[in-house]
Amino acid sequence: MPINIPQRKAVIQDIKSRGGMVAAVLPIHYPRALLRAFNIFPVEVWGPPRVDVSLGGSQLQSYVCAIVQNALSFIKMGALEIADLILIPHTCDSLQGLTSLLIDMVKPPSPVFPLYLPRGRREEDVIFLAEELQSLYAGLAELTGRRPTDAELLAAIAREELCDQLSGRLYEQRQTLGLGNLDFYRLLRSREYLPAEEFAALAESALAVEAAPLPGTPLLLSGILPEPMMVLDLIEEMKGLVVADDFAGCGRRLYRPGLSPEPFRRLAESLVAAPPDPTRGNAIGDRVQFLVEMAAKTYARGVIFYEVKFCEPELFDLPELRAALKERGLVSLHIEVDINNPLPQQTATRIGAFLEMLNH
Amino acid sequence: MEIAALGIDVGSTTVKMVAVNRAGALVWDYLEPVAPRVSRQVDDFLAKLGAKIGSLAEIPLVATGYGRNLVQQARQSKTEISCHAHGVFQELGHGGTLIDIGGQDSKVIVIGARGRILDFAMNDKCAAGTGRFLENSAARMQIPVAEMGAVALTATEEFTITSTCTVFAESEIISLLAQGVAVEPILMGLHRALVKRVAAMVRSVGLVPPLLLSGGVVKNPAIRKVIADETGEEVFVPTHPQLMGALGAALFALKLAD
Repeated sequence: MPINIPQRKAVIQDIKSRGGMVAAVLPIHYPRALLRAFNIFPVEVWGPPRVDVSLGGSQLQSYVCAIVQNALSFIKMGALEIADLILIPHTCDSLQGLTSLLIDMVKPPSPVFPLYLPRGRREEDVIFLAEELQSLYAGLAELTGRRPTDAELLAAIAREELCDQLSGRLYEQRQTLGLGNLDFYRLLRSREYLPAEEFAALAESALAVEAAPLPGTPLLLSGILPEPMMVLDLIEEMKGLVVADDFAGCGRRLYRPGLSPEPFRRLAESLVAAPPDPTRGNAIGDRVQFLVEMAAKTYARGVIFYEVKFCEPELFDLPELRAALKERGLVSLHIEVDINNPLPQQTATRIGAFLEMLNH
Repeated sequence: MEIAALGIDVGSTTVKMVAVNRAGALVWDYLEPVAPRVSRQVDDFLAKLGAKIGSLAEIPLVATGYGRNLVQQARQSKTEISCHAHGVFQELGHGGTLIDIGGQDSKVIVIGARGRILDFAMNDKCAAGTGRFLENSAARMQIPVAEMGAVALTATEEFTITSTCTVFAESEIISLLAQGVAVEPILMGLHRALVKRVAAMVRSVGLVPPLLLSGGVVKNPAIRKVIADETGEEVFVPTHPQLMGALGAALFALKLAD
C-alpha cells in the first residue's frame, strides 16, 4: 500500500506559515520534545544529497564522512538559512569539529547550539544529560523569549513518547503491514521532519492495515542510516526482507519513556536508556547481545552492516562486533557506501551473494 | 559429447563458458576477451557449441560474473561468489579458504566441509588487489602478462613497492626503472604488493585451511608462491582455475536440468 507522506520542503513551509520555528538538527540523539515545547519544529539533516561537496571539502579533511561534509556544504550554500537555529549533538569527533567550525569560522546566520551527550548509561550520565538539557532550555528561552512550564514540557514529552511507542509497534508489526522495504523506511524516516502529531497519524493509519506476511529472506540491517535508500529496493528485488534494523537514525532511536515526573530528568533517562550505540560509547558486548536478541526475535538470518564511509564510531567497532556475532552463529556482510553516489553494481553482487549464502 | 548443462562467466576481462555432463564433469570450455555486446557474444558461443553437438534448446544455462544480467539466454543468474565456491568445491572435493583473483576484483570465500559458503569478502573498489594491477604494470614494463610470474621468480632480490594504488604503483615503477633498478626485483615487489592486499582480506574473514586458489591470475606462478609465503599455507589450485566460476554456474544449471 503506498503511503502518502508529505515532502520535507512542504512541511517546513507549512510550519513557517503557521508561525513555528524550525531547528535544523544534525545526527543523532536529541530531545525532540524540548524543542517542541518551544514551538520549535526539528527537521533533521542527515547529509542531504545533491550538494556541492567541494564547499565543505575546503574546510574538512577528505576522510570526514559525507554526512558532515554535506552538512557543511549545505550550510555554506545557504540552504539552512530557513532554519531558526542549528542543533548539533556531540555524536562524534567530526560533528563536534563541525560545531567548532560553524561557531568560530563559518558563522551561519542561525545560532548554533551544541549538545553534549554522555558516553554511558550510569546515574551520573543521566544527571549530566539532564543538566545539559537544562542549559539547552536556557539557550532556547533566550532565543525565543518563551519559558515553557513543566506541564508544557511534559505534554510535549507525552506526544513524542507516543510516537516512540508507535515506531516500536511499526517494527513489531513489520511483516504484516503490507509495506515493502522502501515504503517501510520512508514511513519511519518521515519522523526526521514531521511534527509528532502528523507522524502519529501516519503511523496509526499504517498500523491499522493487516496484510499477509511479506515473503523474503529475513535480514537485519545495521549502520548509520539506510542511504542511499535504493539499497532497500535492491534487497527486495533479490528476495530479501528487512525485518529489523540497528540504524542510528531508526532502530537505535526507539526510545523507551523515562520514569521521572520531572521533565529534564525524564528526557535524559529516555535518551540514556536507548538501544546500544557506538556513538554513545556503549560496549561492543552490549551491541552483540542486542543484535543477537533482535535477530532471534525477528528470525533475521543475517546482518548487513550498511556503513557510511569514514564513519569512525561505526567502523572502529566493526571487526570485533562481526567476529563476536559470527561466534554466536549470526553471519554478517559489510558494505561501505558513499551516500553521495548511486549504489555500484558490486553492492548488488555482495548482497546477492549474501542472500545466496543464507539460502544455500 | 554428452552435455547436460552450461555455465557462462561474464567477467570484466574475459568471458568463459563451460559445459558439463550429467555427472557434473567439465566436458567443453571456451574463453575469449569480453566484448562490449555480451549478449551477441553469448549467441556466438552457443552457435559454436551448437555446430558441434546440435540443438542446445533444452540445455539449461546459468550465468555468473560481472555481466551476468546481460546474458538473456540464461535461465538463471548467480553471483560469482556462489559459482566460484561451487566450482572449486566440485573440482577439489573439499572446503577451505578460496582466494579468487580476477581481472577487476578479488574475493576471499570460506567454504565449509560440505561446500556451503560460510563467509566472504570482496575487493571491488580498488584495482590494487586484482589482475588489472599486474596488467598495467606489465604494460609499463613491456613484459607479456603471461610471462610476468616466471620472470619475477628469477629475481634474486625484491624491491618493495610502497604504493598500494595501481596508478601510483605505475609511477613508482617508472621512477625505479629510471634509477636503473632491474626489472625482476621490481616485478617481485609488484606481486608482493598485490598479494598483501589479498592477504588483508583473508585476515578479515579468518583463514580456514587449506588455502584454495582460482581465477586467471593464479596461473601466474609468482602469485602462487607469494600467496603461500604471505599466508604460510600450502596452496591448492584446480586444473582450470580460470573456469571455476563458469563451472559453478554450469553445476547450478545442472540442478535446473534435474
